[in-house]
Parts: sequence; C-alpha cells; structure tokens
Amino acid sequence: MNLAYTRYIVLTALLFLLAPIFARAEGLVVNQKFISDKEIQVTFSGPVDKAVTENIQNYTIYEEPDPDIRLELSSAVLADDGKSVTLFFKEPLNTAKTHVITVHGLAGIDKTTFTVSKSYLGYLFGILISALLINNFVFTKYLGLCVFFGTSKKKDTAKGMGVVFTMVMVVSALMSWFFYNFILIPFDLNFLQIVVFIGLVSLTVQAVDTILRKVNPILFNSFGVYLVLVIANCVIIAVPLILANNNYNVFETFMLALGAGGGFLLALYLMSSVSERMQLANIPKTFKGLPIAFIVAGQFAMAFLGFSGLQLF
Amino acid sequence: MANDKSSMQLISRGILSENPIFKLALSMCPAVGISTTVMNGLLLGIAVLFVQVFSSVTISIFKNLIHPRIRIPTYTLTIATWVTVIDLVLAAYLPEAYAKMGIFVKLIVAFAIITMRLEMFASKESVNDSFWDGLGMGLGFMVGMMTIGFVRELLGSGAIFGYDVLGFKPLLFFILPSAGFFVVGLMMAFFNWIEIFYKRSKGLKR
Amino acid sequence: MKDMLTIVVRLTISCLLAASVMGVCFIFTSNAKKHNEHVKEQQVMYELLGYKNGAKIPESLALHEVYRYVISSSEKQSIGYLVPKASGKEAGYDFVNIDLNGALLENKAVALSETEVLETETRNKAVQQAVGAGYTANFADRIIIVTDNGKRIAYLIGGKFQGFKTFVNVMLAVDPNFSLLGMEILEHEEDPGLGAEIEQDYFKNQFKGKPFEALKTINVVKAPIPDDYLKALTGKLSEADILKFREQYKDKDIYALTGATISSKAVSNGVKGIVLKFAYRINVLDKVLREQQLAVSF
Repeated sequence: MNLAYTRYIVLTALLFLLAPIFARAEGLVVNQKFISDKEIQVTFSGPVDKAVTENIQNYTIYEEPDPDIRLELSSAVLADDGKSVTLFFKEPLNTAKTHVITVHGLAGIDKTTFTVSKSYLGYLFGILISALLINNFVFTKYLGLCVFFGTSKKKDTAKGMGVVFTMVMVVSALMSWFFYNFILIPFDLNFLQIVVFIGLVSLTVQAVDTILRKVNPILFNSFGVYLVLVIANCVIIAVPLILANNNYNVFETFMLALGAGGGFLLALYLMSSVSERMQLANIPKTFKGLPIAFIVAGQFAMAFLGFSGLQLF
Repeated sequence: MANDKSSMQLISRGILSENPIFKLALSMCPAVGISTTVMNGLLLGIAVLFVQVFSSVTISIFKNLIHPRIRIPTYTLTIATWVTVIDLVLAAYLPEAYAKMGIFVKLIVAFAIITMRLEMFASKESVNDSFWDGLGMGLGFMVGMMTIGFVRELLGSGAIFGYDVLGFKPLLFFILPSAGFFVVGLMMAFFNWIEIFYKRSKGLKR
Repeated sequence: MKDMLTIVVRLTISCLLAASVMGVCFIFTSNAKKHNEHVKEQQVMYELLGYKNGAKIPESLALHEVYRYVISSSEKQSIGYLVPKASGKEAGYDFVNIDLNGALLENKAVALSETEVLETETRNKAVQQAVGAGYTANFADRIIIVTDNGKRIAYLIGGKFQGFKTFVNVMLAVDPNFSLLGMEILEHEEDPGLGAEIEQDYFKNQFKGKPFEALKTINVVKAPIPDDYLKALTGKLSEADILKFREQYKDKDIYALTGATISSKAVSNGVKGIVLKFAYRINVLDKVLREQQLAVSF
C-alpha cells in the first residue's frame, strides 16, 4: 500500500518536472536550437511558406534582456523538405543568453513568438560538473581542508565521510535557499546570513548525527574527533554563502550542493588512495605526516587546474 | 581556576609551540586559499584575532551561565555574532580589502581553531587568561598567514606589501592557486627539520 | 523538565544578546557602507575622466544620471528612461517611454529629488507609478552623462559580463564619438596570476583611446606585447610618447594575457557589447528628446 503511494508520488513529480518539455512540443514550432554562434535552426510542425520564411524582413530577433537591440539577419534558408529554416546572423550571437524570435505572417498568423536558448538541463548539468571538477571545493577553492587532511587516511572512512557530507550539504543548502529567499531577502535581514546559515547547518548535522548513530554505528565510530568539527565545517557553510551570491533557483541550488558534495567525496577518495600507498613508501623524516600530504594535494590541485575552461554544453 | 601562566607565556605558546597553522594544522583553508600576499595574510589575521579574542572573552565571562548541554550551539552563536560584526565593519570601511578576501571572512565562523580554544581554554579559565590565550592564538594565526604570504609574494610577484624588492622576473608559479599547498607543505617540512636539528644538537651537548 | 526550561531560557537570552549586538552593528555600518561605496564610485568616475587622485575637479563639470528601465506587459515591451530635467537643482525627472522602434510612447514628469533618486527602492516605486498598472518596470542599467559648461564631453557606462570564472563588473568612459576613454574593472573573481591580471594597467590601458570603428571588430591576439608598447601602457614613458604609442596601436587588436586568453577575450567582447548597445540607445534617446523638444539637463 505504502509502496504504491510512493510510486504515484514519484511519477507525479517526474511528470511535473518534465511538463515543460512536453508543453514545448505543441504548436507550430517544434524545435529550435543554436547550430553555431552565427546560426539558429527552427523546425516547424509542417511545411511552411517559402516566401514568408526566407524574407528576413519578417523576423524580429533580440536577446531577452535587451528587447530594443535588434539582431540583424544576413539570410534565412528553408530546407528542401520545407519544414526547417536556418537563420544566419551578421554578428556572432551570445549563445548563453535566451533569444526571442518573432516571425510575422507565418501560416496566416500575424505573430509567432518563441525563444531559443541552450537546453536548461544542460545548464543544470553544467553547474554540477563545474562544482564537481572545475571549481572543486577542495582543490580549487581550498575549503574543508581540516577534514580533508584528517580523514583521508583510509578509503572506507573517506567514502563514508564523503557520502555523509554530500547528504548534509544537499539538505542544508536547500533549507538555506528557502530561508534566504523567503525570509532574509524580503525582510532585508541579509546581514544575519552567517548566523542563519550556520544554524541551519548545525541543525542538519545534528539530525544526520542522530540518524547515523542508530543506523550505522560503525561509520559513526570512525568519525571520531571530527564530529564537532563537522558541525561548523567551512565546506558545508560555503555552499549557502555561494548560492546567496549567485541568485540560484532551487534546482540550481540542488545541483550546486550535489556537485560540491560529490567533489568533496572525489577529493577524499583520491587522497585516501594515495595515502594508503604512501604508508608503504620511504618518506624523509621531515616530510612525514602533513607535509607530504600537502605536497600530494598540491599535485592534485595542479591536475585539477587542467579542468578549467571545460565546457560541455 | 587561577593558575600561574603569565600572559607572555600564553602569547608565545600561541605563536610558537602551538601555532594554529604549522603545529596544530587547523584552519588551513585560508592559509592555502588567499595567502598570495602579506597584506591578505595581515588583514585576515586581524579579523581572526578580533573574533578569537572577543569570543574567548565573551565565553569566559559567561562560562558559569552556559548550560553544558547547549555548550556547542552557544559557542557557535557567539562566534557567528562576532564574525558578522567584523564582516559588516570590513565591508563598510575597507571595501577593497574585503573584496579580495571574498568568502573567507564569512568562513571564519567555521574555523576549527576558534571553537577549539573556546572548548579547551576559555570555558575553564579566567577572563584575563582567556584574553591572553585568544590574543596568542590570533597572533599565531596572523604570523602564520603572513609568513606564507611573505614567501609567496616574494617569490611569486617579487614584492613585499606591494613594493617591488626583487630585481628579476619572479616565478609566476608561486601565486598560482595550487602553489599554496606546496608552500605550506614545504614550510611545515622546514619547521620539522629545524625542530629535529635543534633536538639533535641539544642531545649532543648533554 | 526543569532542565529543559533553563536551556530554553538561556538560549533565548543568548540569542537576544547576539541579535542586539548584530543589529546595533548593522545600523552603524550600513550608512557608512553606502557612503563609502558612493565615494569610491565617484573616485573611479573622476579617475576615468582623467582627474587622478586629488586633482582639482572644475566647477563647470557636471554628472547627469540617466536610469534605464525595461517596461513589459503581457503583450509588449518598451524601454523607459528616467532623465533629469533642465532647470534648477530640484527640478525633478522626466520619464520617457520609448517603444522598440524608437518612437515616443509617452512622457511623464516624475517628482524625485536628487538624493531620492539614489535610493533604489524609492526610484523603482516612482517609476512603477509612472508606468501605471498592468505594466512592470525592471531596472536595467544606469548611464552617466558628463557635461562641461553644458557641453557633453563623455559618457560613463557600467556593465557586467561573463568572465572566465564568474562575472566581471566594469565601468567604461567613452567620449561623444564613442571612442573609449578608459576602463576600470570594479569586480571580478578570476584566478590570481592568470585571469586576475585583467585589472593590471598593461591590460586595461590597451583599451584606452580605441575608436568606435575599431571597437566594432575588436579581437584579441595571442602574442607578447612589444617591449616599448608595454612601457607606454604601464606609464613608464613620457606623456607625449604614451600618446604616440596609443595613436600607433589604436586600430590594433588587444594583446591577450599569457595563460588567460579566455579572460582577455571575455573582457574585449564584453566591452564591445556594452559600447555598441549604448551607442545605439543614446542615439535613439537623443533623437526622441530632440523631436519632442524636451528640456533635459545634459
């Protein structure tokens, strides 16, 4: 009985999330996308009038925030099947922005307006990858180093820590998002940011702590002295502070938190793999312990620098 | 509660034998993240010093009123309050320096070193001792940050406090973000080496 | 139970104490912050206009602020400008609503004083009132028109664009022919040692003196800056030599920073976009103001 309910809820949620994609498929315009930085391709549901679509006078195109600045077309070419038209622009487009296209007189309708933008899912995925690799919290933002050096001795602990951190981060980031957008901003209490965020983080950590104590005592024991430090760990508190700076919406917040947590997990895992090997190595006495760990982390950081500039979408 | 620790001892302990950066290895994030110049180190050091001293004194004054069950939340609240204060003050009066330090001023709230001193020292000792202890730890942090900043600024941009001192072209590597790890690691090793050397020479004399 | 009660009471008291400390601090610092930001902004503006630290600013120089709003309803959009009226100091503002083809829709007087207009909320409310119900007015940007004895000598434009890591916030000064007089980077989060070099003189001074025609097609080249040009950019040569080099390189592309080509390109494209859009808009606004014979302060 319970299971059936859950299934319904999950299905409804999925439908709700995917609704924009289905809704978009209706109407005259089926698909629109950037081909390159000077071309946009528009596909219609049926063949359209060649005279109308190839006349560049019939188009008004602008970037969403600048409706008064028209973008000039150099030509519009209808494909042989009469269903898709490719628009060529004089100047390179800023494909990160949403473009609004209006066609006049198409299929007897005075105005047909639609927008072209990069896929939103791709953008969300971009935030995830960015927080995970390009702006990895440990190796390029230098956060959470205490826990990073403290618990990256064994792979098992590292994995457990990483997963718990990710959980705490996602939950606390979502809560902080709600507090930030519905309490701090409307009442002009932005200066209470730090107190509110750290309170929410502590609350989440306390909850995770209580749950973990019951569910997985072994993992709970391996936290050891770091339990107190987790309550106020900079890698967790940094996520709400970053999202407060960037005006993210709730999905973007989720992706950022997930990416940050995943990045932390990745860093811990990589470091612990090296640490396990290093125990067998012959390290000079002065470098034993933390110094060599820092050098290794530095090498990782340099490797992660290679991810910068990575753009998938 | 009273003890015979003099203020000088408490300060020197914070700077040398229990230096928060090189010895206790706590609060490493800013040590790696924004230690590209001496000035950054100095400013963040001052901010941490302020928070540490004020939190230590606050907790020490109210130590008998704090319920042991809500110890940690009270510490967090105290630290968060003082961090908010320094954050607002820096943003208002030193906007340029504040922009350079970015998110790290707000992150002082999560510095393990401050919570640790409150838990281990300020909640047990007198107000006076807590003040000196907080001052020592804050100074220790500041000195550590400035040392790293000194090395990185000297080798990376050939300058100290923004004034050119090196005649030759500096090594860009040292101000690149990832070099922070190397510099801190090498400096820790260097201090270890001095310590071993010192102990050995002492042993030979005896 | 008694334990619980004491915990609650003590926690409440400590929260109240903390709140009062933070509240007092906020009240004291918020005004100072606003004031300092304003002073800093003024300083940046005058520096861009060529009045370095401490240089005397002539009395005849005046800055006129124009605020641009995007007005939208469910059907159509238009652009609204809040322009200061000509006569006297307390003359208030005109709200000029221009449709997307550059024709005047309406023109209303808005009663705002010079200090009130600096307050974002008061200004937004006044503009919202002027456009009426059914329309929403969203603040877009602010331009500053600089006049000397009533003659236009420069425009100051703020702008924001995507850098390599996050946003880059700049302020540009252009002359009445839209040639760049200077650029200042206000805010950025590029990597130190790499992209952060955009705020260095040898990069940002390359933009100084670029004519509008060159800006339209500006690009970056991956090559080291010639030694003598570098000296001119960092101000190590005499004033006359610097001008000579600026003249020689004025139609050339921007030399990209070593190891930060993307940041360099982002800045040059961003600057180009800001100036091109501004040039179009100010021409439209001027045309409308001339046709309607509106008396404005600039």
